[in-house]
Amino acid sequence: MKILELKNLNFTYHSKEQETKALDSVSFSVEEGEFVGLVGPSGCGKTTILNLLAGIYPAEKGTVFLRGNPLEHTTTKIALMPQRDQLFEWRTIEKNVMLGLEITGTKTKENIRYGLSLLNKYGLGDFIKKHPSELSGGMRQRAALIRTLVLRPDVLLLDEPFSALDFQTRLNVCDDVYSIIKQEKKTALLVTHDISECISLCDKVIVLSKRPAHILQTVGIDIDKSLSPLKRRESHDFGKYFEAIWKLLEDKNECGTQTLCKKT
Amino acid sequence: MSAEHKRYVKKLKIRHAVIWLLRIGLLAAFLGIWELVAHYRIVDPFIISSPSRIVRLIGELYRENNLFPHILASLYETVLGFVIATVLGSLIAMALWWSKGLRDVLEPYLITLNSLPKIALGPIIIVWMGTGEKAIIFMAVLICVIITIISMLSGFIGVDKEKIMLLQSMKAGKLKIMTKLIIPANIPTLISVLKINVGLSWIGSILGEYLSSQKGLGYLLVYGSQVFQLDLVMASTVILCLLAGGMYGFVAIIEKIVRKHFG
Repeated sequence: MKILELKNLNFTYHSKEQETKALDSVSFSVEEGEFVGLVGPSGCGKTTILNLLAGIYPAEKGTVFLRGNPLEHTTTKIALMPQRDQLFEWRTIEKNVMLGLEITGTKTKENIRYGLSLLNKYGLGDFIKKHPSELSGGMRQRAALIRTLVLRPDVLLLDEPFSALDFQTRLNVCDDVYSIIKQEKKTALLVTHDISECISLCDKVIVLSKRPAHILQTVGIDIDKSLSPLKRRESHDFGKYFEAIWKLLEDKNECGTQTLCKKT
Repeated sequence: MSAEHKRYVKKLKIRHAVIWLLRIGLLAAFLGIWELVAHYRIVDPFIISSPSRIVRLIGELYRENNLFPHILASLYETVLGFVIATVLGSLIAMALWWSKGLRDVLEPYLITLNSLPKIALGPIIIVWMGTGEKAIIFMAVLICVIITIISMLSGFIGVDKEKIMLLQSMKAGKLKIMTKLIIPANIPTLISVLKINVGLSWIGSILGEYLSSQKGLGYLLVYGSQVFQLDLVMASTVILCLLAGGMYGFVAIIEKIVRKHFG
């Protein structure tokens, strides 16, 4: 079942000096429970798509459907996990996780219990009274994901959530985040400039052109879904998908691929 | 605790003690040299006074009940100016963060007012408000408020845009963004504004007392210099140093409490 559908999405940034068309008739759909990746050259408009879906900007043209209904800009059924964890340093981990509930006015006993149960389930139960600075990068990222999950969204938007981490932590956190999202049966849309990360996590990869972004191709990833993202990197098909996406970006984007991560 | 750690802690304690000894030693040496220079008339004590003369004078002022009325007058004007300017400046900064239009309209006026030497407005303030404490408090507020607005506003605007977008994605309106993010994120800015305002509010009140007062430490300073009573000028300066230091210490205590709660 289609949970999310974007039809002919257009968006232009305006400044005094110029206008910059970021999206040019972007259309795609996401099935329930799918993990979908968006890759493309730096500045092509990947994050713009997430910001439109998160309701931060209104689309100038085109429609987004959530479960077949036009997306309301007041919905919290689509939740954003930003580039860095963006935990508030002055709040404890527990209070950071409850932030969304405070904002949406849904800090009920039941929701607080749910948030605490997520913290316990994903290994942060002993850290609820700690401040973010007392946690490792991976734990911070898990806390940020739980802050997003506590709002019980249908779709998670992940905006390069691992970009601020060192390589080893990044691989471990990737596994963690993937396993949490799958356990919670959420649909996820991941924006990244790292092709390897995208292939290791996603069921399909949408390849975007350079700005203004339009879809070059959607590549289905058929690697054993029971494997962890780290193990998926060892699959012999991994290289094949990497080459295909790399070539696609190289052919269509001239020098756009210079800004993408090579296979690691 | 390992022997190595014990040695490290001991070294830290010794360093701390040495720093305190040096601080006290520096002050004692300064006072001692000053006293000797005045006592042996290497420099005329009429010009530089001396620590013993200052202590004697403070005692005399106290006995004549002439000390605390002046201290309390200056303290009242300074603290009131400090509080009004900090609260008012922060509120104006919030309004300017809220409305970019208002910010754009008022920006040149803020820049001009910030560059203006506020003492130039002294005569106008006296004409408008008279020569009482109202004018002095107004002067203290005027000196502190613009820098409070500019510092707080710059802190508000400097909050990470991605954090704001995170809250927007949770459908937070401006009020929620302000209360949940902008204000708590700027507690350190407020603390540094408080520290700056301690000094500025004293400048404001003393300047105000120079211009129009019959009491307060600023008045004593001016009076002392007019009648060439340098002991009085020096005594007032020493008391001012102690009061400003005490007020700064009070802000440092607030900072400690706030940091405990806001990390």
